[in-house]
Amino acid sequence: MVQLLSPEGEYSVAPQYAEYAKLVQELSEADFLKFYRDMARIRRFDFEANALQRQGQLGLWIPAIGQEAAQIGSGYAVGHNDHIFPSYREHGVAITHGIDLMSILKMLRGVNHGGWNPDETRFHLYAIVLGTQTLHAAGYAMGVKFDGKTGTGNLADDQAVITYVGDGATAEGEVSEAMLFAANHQAPLVFFVQNNQWAISSPTHSQTRVPLFQRGAGFGVPGIRVDGNDVLACYAVTKKHMDEARGGNGPFLIEALTYRIGAHTSSDDPTKYRSSEEVEYWKARDPLTRLEKFLRRQGIGQDFFDEVAQAGEQLSEEIRSATFALQNPPAQNMFKYVYSEQHPLIEEQLAWLEAYESSFGDQSHLTVADPSQIPNIGSVH
Amino acid sequence: MTQLAYFNLPDVGEGLTEAEIVSWKVAVGDQVSVNQIIVEIETAKSLVELPCPFAGVVAELLAAEGQTVEVGKPIIACRVVDGATGAVQTTSIPVIDPAVAAAASSAHEAVAEAAAAAAERSSTEQASKPFPAKNPTLVGYGVNDAAGASRRRHVPAAALSASTAAAAALPVVANPATGLLNTAALVAEESVIAKPPVRKLARDLGVDLTKVTATGTAGEVTREDVLGHSSQASVFRNLSTPAAPSEREERIPVKGVRKATAAAMVQSAFTAPHVSIFVDVDATRTMEYVKRLKSSTDFAGVKVTPLLIMAKAMMWAVRRNPTVNSTWTDEEIIVHNYVNFGIAAATPRGLIVPNIKDADKMSMFELAKAIEQLALTAREGKTQIPEMSNGTITLTNIGVFGVDTGTPILNPGEVGIVALGSIRPKPWVVNNEIVVRQITTIGATFDHRVVDGDVASRFVQDVASVIEEPALLLD
Amino acid sequence: MANFVEMTIAKAINAGLRKAMTENDKILLFGEDIAELGGVFRVTEGLHKEFGQNRVFNTPIAEAGIVGTAVGLAMRGYRSVVEIQFDGFIFPAFNQITTQLAKMQNRSEGATTMPVVIRVPYGGGIGAVEHHSESPEAYFAHTAGLRVISPSNPNDAYWMIQQAIASSDPVMFFEPKRRYWQKGPVNLDEPPAGMHTARVLREGNDVTIATYGPMVTTAMQAAEIAAEEGHSLEVIDLRSMSPIDFTTIVNSVKKTGRLVVAAEASNFVSVSSEVAARVHELAFYHLEAPVLRVGGFDVPYPAAKLEEIFLPDADRILEAVDRALAY
Repeated sequence: MVQLLSPEGEYSVAPQYAEYAKLVQELSEADFLKFYRDMARIRRFDFEANALQRQGQLGLWIPAIGQEAAQIGSGYAVGHNDHIFPSYREHGVAITHGIDLMSILKMLRGVNHGGWNPDETRFHLYAIVLGTQTLHAAGYAMGVKFDGKTGTGNLADDQAVITYVGDGATAEGEVSEAMLFAANHQAPLVFFVQNNQWAISSPTHSQTRVPLFQRGAGFGVPGIRVDGNDVLACYAVTKKHMDEARGGNGPFLIEALTYRIGAHTSSDDPTKYRSSEEVEYWKARDPLTRLEKFLRRQGIGQDFFDEVAQAGEQLSEEIRSATFALQNPPAQNMFKYVYSEQHPLIEEQLAWLEAYESSFGDQSHLTVADPSQIPNIGSVH
Repeated sequence: MTQLAYFNLPDVGEGLTEAEIVSWKVAVGDQVSVNQIIVEIETAKSLVELPCPFAGVVAELLAAEGQTVEVGKPIIACRVVDGATGAVQTTSIPVIDPAVAAAASSAHEAVAEAAAAAAERSSTEQASKPFPAKNPTLVGYGVNDAAGASRRRHVPAAALSASTAAAAALPVVANPATGLLNTAALVAEESVIAKPPVRKLARDLGVDLTKVTATGTAGEVTREDVLGHSSQASVFRNLSTPAAPSEREERIPVKGVRKATAAAMVQSAFTAPHVSIFVDVDATRTMEYVKRLKSSTDFAGVKVTPLLIMAKAMMWAVRRNPTVNSTWTDEEIIVHNYVNFGIAAATPRGLIVPNIKDADKMSMFELAKAIEQLALTAREGKTQIPEMSNGTITLTNIGVFGVDTGTPILNPGEVGIVALGSIRPKPWVVNNEIVVRQITTIGATFDHRVVDGDVASRFVQDVASVIEEPALLLD
Repeated sequence: MANFVEMTIAKAINAGLRKAMTENDKILLFGEDIAELGGVFRVTEGLHKEFGQNRVFNTPIAEAGIVGTAVGLAMRGYRSVVEIQFDGFIFPAFNQITTQLAKMQNRSEGATTMPVVIRVPYGGGIGAVEHHSESPEAYFAHTAGLRVISPSNPNDAYWMIQQAIASSDPVMFFEPKRRYWQKGPVNLDEPPAGMHTARVLREGNDVTIATYGPMVTTAMQAAEIAAEEGHSLEVIDLRSMSPIDFTTIVNSVKKTGRLVVAAEASNFVSVSSEVAARVHELAFYHLEAPVLRVGGFDVPYPAAKLEEIFLPDADRILEAVDRALAY
C-alpha cells in the first residue's frame, strides 16, 4: 500500500514508492497548506450539514468525514482538462473543482437533482444509481480517445478521465462492464475506488474475496492500493496514474483505503452493525491530524491553524444562513428540462397545472421562487 | 430584544413520523449555542442526538423524557436575541466526534443567533405556504398546520367543463419544424355531439339526432332533448308510410277539439279580412344571444329558444304599434294595454292556443319559464279553458315543422298573428360580401279592419329589427 | 419529379444511417456484431467498411455497457446510434436507459443533452426461440424523457432513422423485424412527415384502426377484407408511441365514431391502453362504441409453434371491428 505520511505525520519514502515521492517533491509549502485548508473546510462543512439535517433543514446528509485526504488529494491531482465522474459522497473532490457547496445542499434539501454545470466544472453530477457513472466515464474516455486527445505526447493538452466509486458499488455489474469497455479501447480512465470499508452495513471483506485493487486484473486494468488517509500519497498516486492514462497507457485502478467515520447517511445507525472500538481505531488515523502533525513539524505555527478554524466558523455561518434562505424551485421546473425539443404532453400538462392551480386563487401552489442570490460559498478557485 | 424560538422535532431518517425523548442534555435556564447537543431521541431506526439550531437561553422544555412526540411538534423553546448573526463558539477544528467537540467547547458568550433562528422560523413558514406538505414529517419542508384542509376551487364546475370541452376541440399543434402539425385536414365540426347512452336512446326511439335541437352546455344533445323530440316526433313529421288501407273510405266524426277548431277558423277567416306580409331577417345575433343565455347560470334549468326572443320582440313591437294588440267589435276597437301572449301548440289531440297572461310584465326568465310550462302542459293535454281564452296576440312556431313561412289564420278575437319559420344557414350579404348567416322569415297576418298596411309593416319591421339586433330589447 | 427507389426496410434503414453518417462525423454506430457482420439482420451492412473502425465498431456482449458508454459519449459531444441485438435482450440496459439516458437532461437542468438513438429489432412472427419476439415498447413509452417511434414501411424507415438521429433527445427506434424484408418505394427527396406524426394510410368511414410497427401490414390486409364485406375501414399508422399524435386519431374518430387499436404487444397496460383511455377523454361525444384493443394475450410470448395463435392477425382485427360495429 502506497504511504508517504504515517499516521503520526512522519514523511518517509519506501524505495518502491520513489516515483510517487517525486511528485510530492514538486509541491510547495503553499500546496500543503492548501491541502490542509480544504480538508478542514470540507470537514467543517460536513459537520454543519449534518447538524442542519438534524435540525430539519435537509432531508438527508451524506457524510464524508474521514475521507478528506482521499478526496482532496486525488482532486488536486486531476488535470486541468480532465473530467471527473463522482458517485455521491465526493464533496471534497467537488470543492477542488469549484463546485459551490450550496449546490450540494440544494440537492439534499430537495431543490434540484444537482444543479451545477458538468461541462463547465468538469465535475459531473452525483450518481445515485450505484456504478452507473463508471460507464458514463468509460464512454467519455472513449470519446477522448476517438478525439485523439490522449497519448499524443502533449501532456498539457491531452485529457484523462477519473471516476469515483465506492467499495460496495464495485459489485454492480456495470462497473465490470465499464472496466471491460475502458480496457478494450485502452481509454484514458482511472477508476478511483474509495474503499471506506463499509457499504452501509456490509464490511468490504464480506463483499470481495480479492482486494479491490486487483479487481481490474481480469479486465486488463492494473491497480494499486494507497493509504486513503494520506493526502500526499493520494495526491501522488492519482497524479502519476492520471498522467499515464493521459499519456496513452489505458485504464488504471486506484484503491484508496480509508474509513467511513460517520454513518452511510443521516438515516443510518452504524451502532447497529459495527463496534466502537473499530471506529476509535480509525479515528486515531485521522487524515487531518496526520497532516497537521506533519505541518507543525515543518514549522507551521498555531496562527495558521487558528486562521483555519476561524475560516471554518465563518463558513458554517454562511452555510446556515444560505440554507435558511433557500427557496423552493418553481413547479414549472418539473416540465422545463424533460425534453430539449417541444413535446405535446409536456405542454398540455404544464398548461393544465397552471390552470388548475390558478383556480384556487390565492391558495395556488405555484409560486415563482427567486433562486438568485444564494451566496457562493465554498468554492476555492 | 428577545423572542422565543421553537425547535420542532425533525424527521431524521427519511420518512419517520415520531420519536421518543430519551434524555435532555439541557435544563430550563441553561445557555445554549448553535449545534450544541440538547437532546437524545429514539426513532424507529436509531438513537439520534439533536443539535440546537439557535443560540440563547432555554425557556421551556416542551416534551418530557419518555414521551413520544410527533415529527413537526415543538420540543423546546429558547429565548434568543435579535440582531446580527453571531459566531459559533467552537474555536478548534472539530475532531472526528463533533458531538464531543461541541460539548467540550461550551458556550459562555451570549452570542445572538436570533436572526438565524428567526430566519429559520420564517423560512419554515415561507416554505410551508407554497407547498403544504402532504407528508408532514419533514420539518425543513414545512409542516403546514392547515395541512389536511382541502382548497376550495373558485371556478364553478360549468366553466371547467367548458374548458374540458375546449380541450376536446384539440387545438392543432402548429409547429411544422418539429413535425407535429397534423397534415390531415380537420373534419368540420358539424357532427352531432351526444353521449353514448343518449345515442342509444335515440336509436331505440327512432330519433334522428341530427334533427334534434341540442340544449346541453357543451352543445350536446341531451337525453331530455331526445325524449322531447321523440314524443313530438310524430307531430312534426311523418315517420313512416303505413300500408294501404283495406276499406275504401274512413269516416271520422266531427266533435271535440276538431269541431271547435273548425268553428274558430271559419269565424276568423270569413269575418276578418286577412292580409299577410313577410320579411326575411338575419337572425344570427338572436341565435348567438340564445346560446349565451343557455350557458348563463341565471338561465340554468329553464329552456331558452329563439321563440323566447321572438315573444319578447313581439311585445316590444306591440308597445310601438299598440293597435295590433286589440280586439274588433262592430262599435269599437278595444286596444289592450296588456299582452296575453298566445302560442299555438300542436298536440296529439289537435291545435290549441293557450296564452300567457300579462306576458309583457314578465322578466325574461319568468317568460321563459312560462313558455316552457305552457308547452309541457299542452303536450300533456292538460291545458284548461281559461288558459286558452282572452289572448291578445299570437305567435305560431311553424319552424319546428321545418317550414320556412306561411299564412297563419287569426285567433278569433285578435287582430294579429305572427308565424316564426325555420332558422337556417343561408347566404346573406354583409358589407357587400356573401356570407353564411342564420336566416329566418317572419310572416304575419292582420285583420285589415283594424290594421292597415303601414301599421302592419311597421310592426313586422320592429319585430324583425329585434331579431336582427336583440340588444334593442334593452330599451 | 420525386426520386423514388424501391428498397426493403432493412436496406432503407441502412441507407438512412449512411446518409446521416456522411453528413455528420460525430455520429457513431456500435453494438454487438454490427461491424464486419453488418448486424444479424444486415441492417448495418457495409457501414463498417465505409466509415471505419473509429465510427462503426463492435462492443462486448454488455447491453448496459452499450447504453452507458453511449451516455458518456453524448457528454463528450458524440451522437451514438447503438443497437440492442434483440428486443428480449434490452433488459440489462434498462437501468441505463431509464435512470440515466431518460433523466440526464432533466437532472442537469438542460446543461447536458442525450442525442442517442437505440435501435431495437422487435416483434414476433419469425418462428424464433424465446426472447427474440418481444414487444417491450410500453416500458419505454411510460418513461418520461424518452421518445419512442417505430417505422412500418421502407419510406418511413429511411426518414425516421435520420430524424431520430437529428433529435437532441434519446430516441428508442423499434424496427419490426418480421417486416425487414418487405419492399416499398422510398422517396429520397422528401420525408413523408415528422417522426411523431401519425399518418392515415387508408381512408374509410366505418371504423378507424390505429396501429403501429409490424401490425400495420396486418391492419391493411384486414381493411381489404372488410371492404369486400362492405365495410370501409380507416387505417392510421401511429408511427410514434411517445408522444402519440392524438389529433390525427381524434379527427378520424370524429368521422367514424369507432376505434380499434391493434398491436402485437399484450393489451394489459400497453400503448394501446393509453390510446383507448385518451381517446375516450378527447372524443367521448363522438364515440358510437367503446375503443377496443387487439393485442397479444397477457402471457409470456409462447413457443414458436403457438405463435400464430398468439399474434393478432387480420381475423382478430376484424373480430374487433365487428364488435365495434355491433354497438
